[in-house]
Amino acid sequence: MDASPSQSPSGADHAIRVEGVSFAYDADADLILEGVSLNVRAGERLGILGPNGGGKSTLLKILLGSLKPTAGSVSVLGQSPVSARRSGVIGYLPQRVSAELRFPLRVEDVVLQPAAVRTAPWRRIGDADRAHAARCLEMVGAAALRSTRIGALSGGQLQRVLIARAIAAKPRVLLLDEPTVGIDVEGQKRFGEMLDAVRTEMNLTVVVVSHELATIAATSDRVACLRRTLHFHDAPHGLTPEVLSEVFRHDLAIFQASGAKGEACCGHDHDHEDGAGGGS
Amino acid sequence: MKTIEYLTDPAYASLFWPGVAAALLVALLCAPLSPFVVLKKMAFIGQGVSHAAFGGVGLALYVAALAGVGGWGGAHQIAVLAFAALAGLGISVLSKRQGTDTAIGIVLAVCMAVGFELYRLAAGVAARDPAVGAPPGIEDVLFGSVLNVTPGAAVATGLAAAIELGGLWWIRRPLTAWAFDEQTAGSLGVSGGRVRALLLLMLSVAVVATMQIAGVVLATAMLIVPGVAGLSMGRSLRGAIGWSVVSAVLGVAFGLVVTFEFGVQPGPSVVLVLVALMVAGRLVGRG
Repeated sequence: MDASPSQSPSGADHAIRVEGVSFAYDADADLILEGVSLNVRAGERLGILGPNGGGKSTLLKILLGSLKPTAGSVSVLGQSPVSARRSGVIGYLPQRVSAELRFPLRVEDVVLQPAAVRTAPWRRIGDADRAHAARCLEMVGAAALRSTRIGALSGGQLQRVLIARAIAAKPRVLLLDEPTVGIDVEGQKRFGEMLDAVRTEMNLTVVVVSHELATIAATSDRVACLRRTLHFHDAPHGLTPEVLSEVFRHDLAIFQASGAKGEACCGHDHDHEDGAGGGS
Repeated sequence: MKTIEYLTDPAYASLFWPGVAAALLVALLCAPLSPFVVLKKMAFIGQGVSHAAFGGVGLALYVAALAGVGGWGGAHQIAVLAFAALAGLGISVLSKRQGTDTAIGIVLAVCMAVGFELYRLAAGVAARDPAVGAPPGIEDVLFGSVLNVTPGAAVATGLAAAIELGGLWWIRRPLTAWAFDEQTAGSLGVSGGRVRALLLLMLSVAVVATMQIAGVVLATAMLIVPGVAGLSMGRSLRGAIGWSVVSAVLGVAFGLVVTFEFGVQPGPSVVLVLVALMVAGRLVGRG
């Protein structure tokens, strides 16, 4: 099933458009991504499933504008990824927590940061911004943590707080890279419900990238499998875990047939697709 | 107490006060920056910048000596600042190719070597030509001096402190967001490159101002030790900065008392008092 996604022909309601994108780190290196086309409708939850080294994080970095595609074009909400990111419409949660947790900040300070950086230095952060930050913490179920020091949070709590920080910036697109690493299946389900509630209230388009089937099942309406090239699997009646596991087995067979050295959709917590060796 | 005598006796006061004022201003200038330097692991970059600045000291002394100007003045200071800022920039450019620690190692060694040769050349010019004043002693350059600080230098330090503190206040929100999470700062609309460059510039200014008092070798201690103390005492970022300022000012004040009482260079005594305060802070902070 190597078809382009079903989509409205006008394309006006597309949050993300990717056309024929290829990427390699060097001119003579192997392609990490090859001819990837992808349209994400506004308000949609798209899951991108793929093995380690399949190019998932690379695709996200291209959507964020921190990598430039070797070929093809990308637009996010009708703008180039770089200007979309600068205008603050893309929320992003990196794969590994990159935050400096020794920082003596409380949860509330962290969630207020998006409003703080938009407030002129001589002004106080407004009450509306404070209320919005508090609402974002409520949405992710972390309202009780608002006075907790950031370094004292558990892994799951920290992740919720970082999502609250991302949505406090009022983005229209939310990109999540491996958001449930280390969370059990029950936790992934709850995470999916939380994310869906956030998406509905904030009117967000959500793209989740993961090598874990359960994560994609819990967070996505539509799924694409990425391993250098992108394969779409539309599930018009909602993506049930049964359908997904079918898709997953199918792709697992593809990966093995094409000689992916023992890599599958599940397994290691670490992605190394930054390396030139990925995706060959 | 010699300290009281030096600071109150009119015969000494005008000699010592500029250095004391500059030392206290340096504490005010470095301390708020220090927690950020510690959290962003920029300590070794500071070390690189201060040692690289020694190259600037040698260059400034030599060029000035050739032009018939000896001693040490504001023009020297400005030249050193420009050199230090360039070295900081050079380190960040080289880091991308070589890795940060290698880049610092290279820049630090080259600038120290060049600085020392130029310093000797400048001293040679001064020795041959009586019209050119002698450069400050090498111990003073390496470990600091109170007496070499002129009233003009004290005023310049005050100006630098005012500009730097103002700048830090102005960028405090993007700085905090970027320092907290460099990877996602871009999606909040914060330009990481710009914030990093500004922080590096502030670091250079702080290091060059501190060099007068603590010398090339120990200048970065002012940017590291108070921050560690502040972070272990403070419960919030504001608290950490506050405690950093308190420990830096106390460290400088008591360090100078030690300097005056025992007639030693101010750099080592300030650093030792600062470290003692940091250890005390950590013990109190944990208890």
